[in-house]
Parts: sequence; C-alpha cells; structure tokens
Amino acid sequence: MRKLLIIIFLSFWISNLLAQDVIVTGIVTDPTNAPMPAVSITIKDQAGLGTSSNAEGKYQIKTDAYSILVFSFVGYKTQEIKVGQKSLVNVTMQPADSSIMDQVVITATGIKKKITNTGAITTVNIGDIRVPGANITNALAGNVAGIIAMQTSGEPGFNNSQFWIRGMSTFGANQGALIMVDGFERPFNEINIEDIESFSVLKDASATALYGSKGANGVILITTKNGKAGRIAIDGRVQVGYVTRTRTPEYVDGYEYAKLVNEALTTRNREPLYSPNELEIIRNNLDPDLYPNVDWMNLMLRPYTNNVNASLNFKGGGSTARYFVSTAYYNEGGMYESDASLKEYKTNANRERWNYRTNFDFDITKTTLLRLGVAGFLEKKNSPGLGHFIWESLVGTNPTATPVLYSNGLVPAYGTGAQTNPWVLSTQTGYKEFWQNNINTNVNLEQRLDFITKGLRAVARVAFDADSRNEIFRQKWPEQFNVEKRRDRNGNLVFVRKSTESLMFQTSAASGTRILELNGELVYNRNFSGHNVDALVRYFRRESRSSVNVGTDIANGIPNRNLSFSGHTGYAFRNKYLAAFDFGYTGSENFRVGKQFGFFPAVSGGWVISEENWFRKIAWLDLLKVRYSHGWVGNDNLGRRFAYLSTIATSGSTFNFGDLVNPNTFAALGYTQVASDELTWETGVKKDLGLEINILKNMFTFYMDLFEETRDDIFIQRNFLPAIVGVTSAPFANVGKTLNRGFDGNFSFRKRLGQVDFTVRGNITYYKNEIVERDEQYNYYPYRSQEGFRIDQRRGLIAEGLFKDYEEIRNSPRQTYGSYMPGDIKYRDVNGDGIINDDDIVPIGASNRPALIYGLGTSASWKGIDFNIHFQGAGRSAYFIDGPSVYPFTAGSWGNILTEAGNPANRWISSAISGDPATENPDAKYPRLSYGGNANNYRPSTYWLRDGQYLRLKTLELGYSFPKLQLQKLHLSVARIYAVGQNLFVWDKLKIWDPELANGNGMAYPPARTVTVGLNITL
Amino acid sequence: MLGKLFQTSKNKEMKKSILGIIISLLMLQFVTSCKKYLDMEHFFKDRQNIDTVFARRDYTEQWLADVYTHLRGPNSDVGNKNDVLSNFLSDDMFFGDRIKDGRFSNSEYKNFKNGDYNEANWQESWASCYQGIRKASIFIDNVDKNRQMTPDEIIDRKAQARFLRAYYYWLLIRKYGPVPLVPEHGLDYTESYSDLSLPRNTHDECVDFITSELALAAKDLPASLRDSRNLVRPTRGAALAARAKVYLYAASPLYNGNADMADLVDDKGRQLIAQQYNEEKWARAAAAAKEVIDMGIYKLYTYPYHAESQGPDYPPTIVPPFNAKYSNANYPNGWKDIDPMESYRALFNGNVPFLGNPEIIFSRVTEIGSQLTTDLPMHQAPYSLNGWNTYGLTQKQVDAYAMNDGSDVPLNPRVSGFTANNTSHLPLPANVSLQYANREPRFYASVAYSGSIWYRTSINLISEREKQIFYYRGLADGKQPASPEFYIRTGIGIKKYVNTLDAAFRSTPEGGYNVPKTEPAIRYAEILLIYAEAMNELSSAYNVPAYDGNGSISVSRNVSEMSKAISQIRIRGGIPDHEPAIYASREALRKSIKREWQIEFLAENHRYFDLRRWKDAPVEEATPVMGCNMDMTANQRDLFHTPVIIASLPTIFVKKMYLWPIPHEELRRNVRLTQNPGWTNPY
Repeated sequence: MRKLLIIIFLSFWISNLLAQDVIVTGIVTDPTNAPMPAVSITIKDQAGLGTSSNAEGKYQIKTDAYSILVFSFVGYKTQEIKVGQKSLVNVTMQPADSSIMDQVVITATGIKKKITNTGAITTVNIGDIRVPGANITNALAGNVAGIIAMQTSGEPGFNNSQFWIRGMSTFGANQGALIMVDGFERPFNEINIEDIESFSVLKDASATALYGSKGANGVILITTKNGKAGRIAIDGRVQVGYVTRTRTPEYVDGYEYAKLVNEALTTRNREPLYSPNELEIIRNNLDPDLYPNVDWMNLMLRPYTNNVNASLNFKGGGSTARYFVSTAYYNEGGMYESDASLKEYKTNANRERWNYRTNFDFDITKTTLLRLGVAGFLEKKNSPGLGHFIWESLVGTNPTATPVLYSNGLVPAYGTGAQTNPWVLSTQTGYKEFWQNNINTNVNLEQRLDFITKGLRAVARVAFDADSRNEIFRQKWPEQFNVEKRRDRNGNLVFVRKSTESLMFQTSAASGTRILELNGELVYNRNFSGHNVDALVRYFRRESRSSVNVGTDIANGIPNRNLSFSGHTGYAFRNKYLAAFDFGYTGSENFRVGKQFGFFPAVSGGWVISEENWFRKIAWLDLLKVRYSHGWVGNDNLGRRFAYLSTIATSGSTFNFGDLVNPNTFAALGYTQVASDELTWETGVKKDLGLEINILKNMFTFYMDLFEETRDDIFIQRNFLPAIVGVTSAPFANVGKTLNRGFDGNFSFRKRLGQVDFTVRGNITYYKNEIVERDEQYNYYPYRSQEGFRIDQRRGLIAEGLFKDYEEIRNSPRQTYGSYMPGDIKYRDVNGDGIINDDDIVPIGASNRPALIYGLGTSASWKGIDFNIHFQGAGRSAYFIDGPSVYPFTAGSWGNILTEAGNPANRWISSAISGDPATENPDAKYPRLSYGGNANNYRPSTYWLRDGQYLRLKTLELGYSFPKLQLQKLHLSVARIYAVGQNLFVWDKLKIWDPELANGNGMAYPPARTVTVGLNITL
Repeated sequence: MLGKLFQTSKNKEMKKSILGIIISLLMLQFVTSCKKYLDMEHFFKDRQNIDTVFARRDYTEQWLADVYTHLRGPNSDVGNKNDVLSNFLSDDMFFGDRIKDGRFSNSEYKNFKNGDYNEANWQESWASCYQGIRKASIFIDNVDKNRQMTPDEIIDRKAQARFLRAYYYWLLIRKYGPVPLVPEHGLDYTESYSDLSLPRNTHDECVDFITSELALAAKDLPASLRDSRNLVRPTRGAALAARAKVYLYAASPLYNGNADMADLVDDKGRQLIAQQYNEEKWARAAAAAKEVIDMGIYKLYTYPYHAESQGPDYPPTIVPPFNAKYSNANYPNGWKDIDPMESYRALFNGNVPFLGNPEIIFSRVTEIGSQLTTDLPMHQAPYSLNGWNTYGLTQKQVDAYAMNDGSDVPLNPRVSGFTANNTSHLPLPANVSLQYANREPRFYASVAYSGSIWYRTSINLISEREKQIFYYRGLADGKQPASPEFYIRTGIGIKKYVNTLDAAFRSTPEGGYNVPKTEPAIRYAEILLIYAEAMNELSSAYNVPAYDGNGSISVSRNVSEMSKAISQIRIRGGIPDHEPAIYASREALRKSIKREWQIEFLAENHRYFDLRRWKDAPVEEATPVMGCNMDMTANQRDLFHTPVIIASLPTIFVKKMYLWPIPHEELRRNVRLTQNPGWTNPY
C-alpha cells in the first residue's frame, strides 16, 4: 500500500504540468504509405502524456511549443520530432534494421557493442525462452549455448536444474557459476522471469576476469527491467498449467509379481513361494488381507496437477523519474494423493511464491542518476511428513506386500521408515512447511563526469540482501502391523506389530543470511575519430554472514568477505582491430594473510575482418570476426573455511595419571585438524577462440567458440597418507588438476517469407574433461586410477553377456562375486589373471552428467498467429541402473518389478520353466532371476550401464495476438492468448523413467510434462 | 531533499560537491578497509594453538595425556578379547562365545586359530602407535616453551613422552616385527605421497633406537616410585625394565640369526632380521635386567601367613608340604611367613593397589578401566552368575601347573576320584576331581576348575554370595539347550583377575560391584625371569656398558644368580626351587624357565609372543587343544574329566603366523613398505 502511495505521489510530482499551448495532429504511415494504427506518441521528458494513432493512423496530442514528440512502435525505429510551432506532424515510420552496429552484449563492464566485444559471451534473448513452471534454470538446457544443465527432480520446490557453464572443469567443492543480478551476487532461481531484461553468460577468462577469484566457473549476468519514459504501460499475464509426469516407472501387478517370485525361486532350485492356488487367490483378489494386490502407484500419485502463474507490472515515468513495479504469484501443485478427510492441513507437495520488484530511476541532476531497487519474494513449500521416502516407497513396496488397510481396520506396513505403508507415508504422517523470505535492496548512484573529461562517469552501488528460511515439521504415524502368512486355528489373522503409534510432534529449523555489498567504479568510454577507448576501474567488497543457527564453531559465525580491485581497458580501431586487457586483484578472508590476494589478468583481441576495406566487396557478408582470449581465473570457495588453520581441541577422551582413589585426570588435547598454511584458491587458465559470422543482412548469424581450460590447485583432502605419518586428521592441500576442452556455438536464421516471419535457432555445447592429477592412492593397474579419466567417470566390470551353459562357465575365468550359473552375467577378465575381481573394474561409459547439450527450434508468425517449437537433447552421459526394482528381488520382497523385466522376451528364462530353449537368451536384458540378492549379477557393470542420451520436445507453443485495431478500441496495446506444451515427448534409450533424472533406481520425482494456457495483456 | 537537489541542480558547485562526496566515500573505503577487511585471524586468537598449549601447565599436561591414551584400547596387554586378542590366541587360553556373527565370535576365533585371518583383521594398533609417536614427538619438540612448569618438571615430562614414543615402537615391533622408524621430528604431511613412503628398518635398527631412547628417558625419569596421583607415569625403573624386555626379544631365536626369516626384506631386498646369531644380544638383555634389579627398589609382593580366615578373600593359609629347606625360612629364603596363594592372587584381583605394591614396575593402572575391572571378569564368570562363560584354559595349561611339592602332575594315568567333603583337599570343596588336588598355590589362584566356588560377596542377598559351579552337561554352566553357546569349551575356567567381591556381570544384583584392578604391564617377576633366561644362554662373560654410560655390567652364566632370581618367584608361589641338576643343564633350565613364564604370566599377554620369539609356536600352537569332555553329565563325571580334543578350538601354525600381517591399505599408501612373510600384497 505504501508503495502504491509513493507511485501515485511520484506521478503527480513528476507531472507538475506545464502550460499546454499547441494541439498537434498528423498521420503516421509505414514505408508503403499505409496508415499505421497504435503507434505510441509521447512527449519527451513528460511522463503520463501521450496518445496513439487510430485505425487511420491519425493522432492528436496537446503539447507546448518546442517540445519533442516521440513516435515508437515495436519493430520500428523510434523517431523524435521537434514540434516547434507546427501543428501538423506527419511521420513515416521506418522498420528497425538490425544493423550489426546496433547489436549489443551485456558484459561485466556494462552494455557494449557486440562488434567490439572480445570475450566469449552468450546473450540470451529472454523473449525466446519459454520457461516450464516458474524456474528459469529449467529453460537453460538447449537454449543457452555454453550451458550444460540437467533437471534431476520434478518435485515442486526442488525442481531447479543443476547447471554448469561449459561443463565441469573441476572436481573441487564449487562447480557452480557466479550469478550476478543487477550487479550483485544473488541467486536467481526464484526470480520472476517477467522481470528479466537481459540474460548473459560470461564464459571465458576475459569476460570474467573482473570477478577474479569468484569467476572460475563462469558468470551469469542478469539485469532486471527499468522504467522507460513515457505513458504508463501495464502488462498482465495469467497462465494455468495442466501438469502430468514425463515418465513414471511401470511395475507388474500382484499376479505377475507372484509368478515372477516363483520363477526366481525355482530357477535357483528353491521351493516356490506361492502355490497355484495362492496365485489364483491373488489374481481374483479373493483374500485381500493375506494376498493383497495393490496398485500403489495409482493410489499414491494423482494423474495430474495444476500450476498457476500470474504477474502484473507497471512501468513508465517522465524524464526525471521512471519506475518499474512488478508483482507475481506462482502456485505449483504436487502429484501426491492426499486424504480427503484431512481438512486441517494438506499433505501434498506444493509450492507457492509471491514475487515483487520495484525499480526507480531518478535523474537528480542532468548528469546524476539515482537508481533504487527493492525486490524480494516469499515462498512457501509444503511436503508430506515422510515425503522424502515416497519414491523409495513406491519403488520398494510390491503389490502383494500389504493391503492398504486390513479388513479389521488395522494399518499394515512392510517395515518402518521408507518401508512404512505407502498410503500412510504420503497421507498420514503429518507435513512439513517451509518458508523463505528474501529481500534485496540496492541503490546505485551514477554521475557523469563529462566536465572533467568527456566520456567519464562514476558509479557507486550499495546492496543489502536479507534471506531467512524457516521450517516446521509436524510428524506423526499410526500404529502399524504386519501379518503372519498363515491364519490361526480360528481363521483369524496373526498380527505382528511393526511400529507403535506416534502422535504428532514437531521439529523446526531456521537459517538466515545477510549480505552487504559495496562497489564503486570509474568508467571511461570515448571515441576519438575511429579510436574507441573504454576503461573501467572497480572497487568491490562483499560480506555475507549467516546469522541463525551458526552452531558452536567460530568459523561458522565469521562473515564471508571478499575484496577486489579490478579493471578493464579496451581499445578498438575503427571497429576493426580490437584489444582488451582485464584484471581482477581479488582477496578472500579464507586464506592466511599473505595468501589472501590473487591477481587474475586476461588479455583478449579481435579482428573484424569484414570491416577491412578489401573485404567490403563481399556485400552479403555483414560480419566476419575472429577473437581470442587468454586469462587466469580463480575459485575461493573451497567447500571448507579456514582450512589453513589447525584446530586443537580435547577429543573427549581423558587420561588418569593417578589411581582410583586419587584420580588425576586430564582431558586429552590434540590436533583435531592439522593445518596446511600454504592453502590458497583454485586457479584456472582459460583459452578461447571464437568466430562470428553474420550474413545477408543478418539473416543468418553464427558463432562458435573453442575453449580449453586447465584447472590447477584444486582443493582436496589428502585421504591417503600412510598411517606412519601419524596424523589423526587428513590434511587439505591444493593438489588437483584437470583439463577441460570443448566448444559451444549458436546459429540463427531469420527470414520473412511473404507475411510469415520465420526463424530457426540452434545451439550446441560440448565438453570433455580429464583429471590430470588428484589425491588418490597408488594403483597398480592404471585404469583403476582416476587420473587420465573424466570427472565422475563411471566404473564397472565389462559384461560379456549371460553364460550359455555350464560348459562356458567351466571354460571362463573364475568370478569371485558369489556363485553363478547359466543365465548369470559373464564378465571380462581385463587383467588376464584368470580371476574376475575388483581389479577388473575399468572405466566404462561417461559420467552421469551429459557432456553434450544441444537445442534446435523454429518459430514462425503469420499475422497474429505465432508458432514455436523447440527440441532439446543431451548426450555423452551414462549411468548405472540399480536398486530393488532394477535388480529383481535383490532385496527379497522389497522392490517392485519393472514391466520391462516382467516381459518374458526381456529376460533369460530357463528352458525347464519356459519349456523352450529359445528363452535361454544369452543376450537378454535381464539375467536369470534370483531371489534375495545375487552378488554376481547385481553390481556395476556394462550390463547395467545405460546411455543417458535423449532428445525431447521441450516446447511447443501456439499463440494468437489480437489485431491492434480491435485492441485500440479496448485501450489495449497487446493481447495475446497462447498454449504451450512442455516436455511433451522424449526419445531415449532408457525407457523406464525419465532419462534426464540421471537416476539409477527410479526413486525420483519425474520432471513435469505441462500444457499451459495463458493470456497476456498490455495496457 | 530531492526537491532541494533539483533547485540547485544547475549549480556547478553542487555538482562538484556530489562528486566530492562520492569520491571521498570511495577513498575512505579504500584506505580504512583494505587490509583489515579480510583479516579474520583475531577471531581465532582466543582459540587453542600450539603455542598456548605448551606455554601453560594444564594444557601441556592435557597434551601429554593425549599421548598416553594410545596405551589403551588395541595397545593394552590385559583386558577383554576386543582389545587384547593375542592373549586368547595361544595354547593356554581361548574364548568360546557365540558361534557365529560378531567380530569376536567363536567362528572368528576359529579363523584366527586356523590361520584364516587376513591383512584386514585387528589392525587398529598400527595407526594408533604411530599416532602416539607423532604426538609424543610434538610434545618433545615443544615442551621447553613452557613458562609455568619448573625445569625439573619439563625434564620429567619430556622423558615421559620419550618413554611413550619408544614404548609405542616396542608394541609395533612385538606385533609386526621390524617397522619403519619415522624421522625424530615427525613426517611433514604436506610432502608428496612418494616422499612420505618409508621402507622398514631392520629389526636391529629398531631395537637400537628403542633401547637408546629408553636409556635416555631413564636418565631423566625419577628413580623413586611416584605418588598416588601420578602412578601411571613411567619411572626410571619402567624405562629400564622395558629396555630389558626389548633386548630379551631381540636376543630370542626369532630375531637372532633366524634363517627362516631370510625372506623378510625391505623394498631394496635388504634382510631385516639378523641372519647371524649374536650371543651378545643375550648379554645385553641380562645386563639390562640386572640394572633394574640393582636399583634395589623392587621386590615380589607377598601376603603374610595367617592361620585364621580373614574372610573369603583371605582364607587361612594353606601351608605347602613340608620342605626342609623352605618351610622354616622366611621369604625370600622360604615360605614360612607368607601365604603363597594369596601373594600371587592379590596381585591381580584388585586387593593390592599399585601404590605400595613393590612388584609393579609399570602399569596403566585404572586406565584400562572397564576392560580389566568389568569386561574381563564378566566374560570369565559362569553363565548362572550372569557372566558370559566365555574365557577358559586349555588342559595343557592346567597340566603345566606343578603339584604342591614342585613335582609334575601325573598324567599317565591321571588321578581319579573326587573329593568327598570340603576339608580333605584344601582348598577344594566337595565333589571335585582329585586331578585338581594338591596342586601348587598359583593353580588355585588362576584356575576355575569344575566345582570351584565362585563368590559374589558384594551383593546384598547373602544366600547368593557363594556358589559352587560345575560345568557338566545339562547344568546351567555346562552345555545346555537354554544357552547353547555360552559354555566354557574345555570345562576349565579362569579365576585370575576375579575378586571374590565381583558381581557386576551381565546384570548386577543389588549391592553388587566389581573391584577395580591394577594392570600388571611390567612387574618385577618378569625382570627376574628375563635375567635368568638371558643369562642361561651365555657361554662366556660379557661387559655391557651401563645405560647411563657410567661403567659397565658384567654378566656370564652364573648359577647362583639365576637361582636367586628364579627361586624368588617359585618360593613366593609356594614351590621349591629347581634341583641343581636343572641349573647344570642349559637346555633343562631353558625348558623350566619357559614353563615358569607360562605359569607365572598366564593371561598377561606373554605366551602368544613368547612362543613366537622362542620359535616354539610351530609345535606348541599346533598341538590339539584338550579339555574336559563337555558332553558328559554329572553322572558321567569320570568321563567328563577324561581329556578329549576340543573340536571347536582348532589349532594350526604356519610360518605367516609368526608376525602379524601389514594392512593392505598401508602397503598401498606407503609403496616402499614390504609385507611380512607369508602374507599377501595388495597386488
């Protein structure tokens, strides 16, 4: 309310209106002389005044003489015309040509012409991105060249994607990019997407050098929207989504399950568990107490849920003050079925978020700009009491494990914890509430210093961010029972109690951080007849402090502090020859005095070949540019603070020098952590070679970057000291080294075919890393080392199919993982010692994070209709599948059986059971069944390694914008309805659950498949 | 405010002042904060650091306490099988316990005794010793900084740390054979792994280092016994006694010219165990023992003769059969004034504290804590008294005890029959096999034979304070269906370390408690036996330099010296010294001395290592374990007492069992380390 008052007040204050003398009229036309309706006409430096042209292109506006009229329309150049004494002003609007000179990128030093930029930067047109749900991280994969991303959960509130700029360059603690929002380090998961003005990814050392010891893993720069002088513009959007799951594991029903149990037992010469009679009882559901057949998936998961997203923003202002105010609401429902009788609270997963942002710009003097921004969000998440077990329970509880309730009303359970009755687990165990409250405030003061020298300005920024999180967990569970498999003499069930009742009890947790950031910079930018010089020096400091629940360790209560001096100088000669030098001299409190500061320089250069005179003959080539950068970066987030200090403390044990009667006891005092005082940050050397091409009036644009990064001094604990050293704690050291190479690229093609605007976009990111050095023990077999292989390289035995017969078993090397028979997995003897053991474990596949991400999309618009389709893919990843459902019956009766394994065509079946020798298929997808675990089959090997590559139809969108003419009658400038489908389809090799989860056992909330309809209106 | 700014906005002065404010603010930030902003060390100033530790008395003592803690746990010598496994793996004792599951079940026992244990088993002591060594080295290097201790205190503390460092090395070489000696100031853990790899030193190098360090410590340690609040701290006697023990092992056949160990080499192929026999090593051991004897402050503990009962702890003295030489002489020339059984028993059952006990030279005292006071008796106590009925003795150990006149027990045939009442064969109660009658007093202090009386006199219920326990099948403490795993496999239990007051076992009856016991890590009897054993091996005279460099000790095979040493032990135990014929023969005396070790030091973690150093283990530990026939009921008591082979207590000895394996993990990390013979390498 107060904010609203301020806005109203400001609007009045700004429009302390001057006398209006002249009435100006005229017609606005396009280059073909057709009248243009809905062109916005405002008076420069006077907010709130303005009109727009009508259906015939005519307008009328009241203004004073000698004011300036501003004509603007999307897709056309804005024109400013001095009124003078005229009363008729006719204007011909010119389509905005996207000249290469007009294209800009957002860099660490601010907005820069794209042509003179020498760093590797991806600038994302935020309008091209369709964000599933409300989380921008889920839109990064396949949309932003240079980013590798994966979404490993679809649960509301926990469905952020993990992402890495140019993949993984380190196995150290911090692999994530630095996120800068409006010039300050801030998270962006919860940002309202409508507020984002620009989104850039800084990838190479020259682009990130200014961030010194924080920029090693790349930087994402986000700026939020600001008000623009002109009439107030109100933009509103409402969308509703219908959310289903991309893919949920499918399991066999009780009858199939029981048959498979029998097969698993009899094929290993054990007695079957179910008699033919009992199988019939299960099939016909004759005794649901003893022989239940429950479809837990159906019982616990809803077929669909909804999300709602609404946002509203205002912007506008006059010449001296401008504003942007936005608010947004988001609600995302979970998939968990809840108990309708519980009225007091909800157990389903849910996330609600309220965002707000106000950005004010004041021109205090003609050369002084004050910017004030306040933004924040309030988030509330809900999840069922034992919700963290739901997927484990779904995977584990087989259809015959227990009924939902016994016929006498008692609550059944397989066990406790994750083995609680699934229905109880998701509906009867209370709930967890989580709130997050985040407020970011920043003030910028910008002073142009042209009176000292032209092109100089100073900027000072202060930010104060506060974040608090609270969690309340109200938990309970009912008394639960199991039954003996046989009834007693009277035909009654024999109950065994599994857990006693727990009435509701509560635990809570809280955390909070405060961040204070200051920075000031001097910027110089000037063009001297063809020589363009820009320079910047920046002083920066940041303090982040946890203020809640910091525990007893002194280190936890000490603020994280960074201090840096950084600078940039760039030079461009006739936009042709480009050079830049950047540096960051940054310090961190995390190291000892003398080791706190590091110098991270970067040099870069570019040659815009297309600007050469001899090249200008090639008219169709707008831009041909090569650039190269070489620089150093750092990472001061080691995952452990003050590791350079030792800790001496009493260990809890005591020693008595005396006897019992006269004890003389001392607490034992010693090193609990030894120090390594030479510790310092991780450093990286980055090289980047880029090529940029624009042809045919920018119809086709293309860029490609090759990169190489060597990361050194990776912080790691030395875990393999021999015991003779005698230290009781492993010391830390900067000993790791990696090499990461790859490329990223992007192209777009834009063409207007008749009345159809047509665009094709594509991007790709690929990397391959290698551990050059890391802390590991001596390995006799080089392939058992981590050195020389990828970070997180998967390792396992090499499977050579299934044993055909005993003859083959006799003629093969001995396998040491328990007994085996035909139909079990045969492994390769890699070291040739005649024994299959851990020394035959070799690197196989890749890592579970994709090393290749690509996206391809096209959009077209015709009249008011627009259409957009986007595919996203990932490759070069691999992971093992395992767990109680992938390994049938590995944990006995704990674990569902995938329909894939239930399909006889997919598994090895003894001919004694199937009666058909053909079912003894040595190439089958599942080995001979076993009950209660099989150490030979169920271990990481190529047999269970799955290729993680996939291609998905990420976005399919259809929209319709109402014609301007009709809108004008309603005083609207834009009205668009649209429908977007997200994650509609996926092509992959895994088939059993969503491949992007990179999850081995299926115990994960799948990503959402969403169909959203929405309406967007701008006043 | 904003309005005001507007009004003056055209004013250049104002413009400049805004700029001035900005710039001066920035400059202020710059100047004041750069250095201090990142300096966090003041937060840690009040935390503990190595300088404050060693500047203050209390913290220094705490650090030293930490060095001492490594004497416990896997490095202790007496206690439960969890810590002192080796006590139970030789031919004298065993453990039964659960048949399966658990680290120390009977099936685990079988693994060890079958030689089926591996490089991963029971390896905690390796790291623990080296940690103690490092902590001691830091202490030695820093204690001089102390500003609150007197110079004498600093010298004493430093010598204690030096003693401990040497003692940890000793524990290592006793178990693993020669080990790497790390640099005196410790290894620099910031070095690369290859620089932190050290090969094993030779056994002689290890012994030289340990003994010279102990000699150095002995010079600075006080000669006199310490007060009750500082009992655990070693004295000069402790350092010299430990030194004698290290020398004795080094002189023994396993390490002295042992061609069987020619294959124990370092990474360069250097043989680590001396291949040439060197008799002088025995002389060093004898001389070192003599230096302890010559201190003149230690003697064997004795309890005076008493005709009347002084309670269950002190029944009337059972006088040994008349012996013309000893019956009428006072100790040490005879047993007239002592109670031999009590003299031995009270050493271990907690009745004699360390303070005032002239026999204990070094002890962890109460620091063994519940291990010795509670856990050990609990596993010894009968099941019907809420014990675990787990630890027992072999028939071989029972047969090793002499008759009360010093003669050997008749084995062929064994004595038959049973006591008819509780007075005919004191201290036996009624219905006990006569095989246990008329044995030497140390037998009665050590052996829980079937039918012995167990006391729990601390409990309130008087009727439960005394109980005769039989191990016949079907009885609560024999083989029986209710507790099929908790019976003593040989039918022969252990009484040593059990006090008649002890009652805190699996459950504690009202009023019950256990008497705290003093651990005998090194006692004077050991020095006497080291002296005799080493001297017996000499064929010529040797002059060995004294530990402190002042003069020398001359030793040669001197019968009267040996007899003086051995007789003190035997007479305290109520049996006569050996006949001169035995002293005349080196072999006969060696055999007798070995038997003396076996009897006197039962359950003190000697036998396992002694059999190895003598190289007797291949015979002794491979002989089948015999015991009572546990399948016999009370009605078949004659058959019960006819020894049979105990199938659940297998025996085997192979060469690899001489030395404990080096952990694979350590071999992988220290690539220069080499494995002990017979054990596998990680690759």
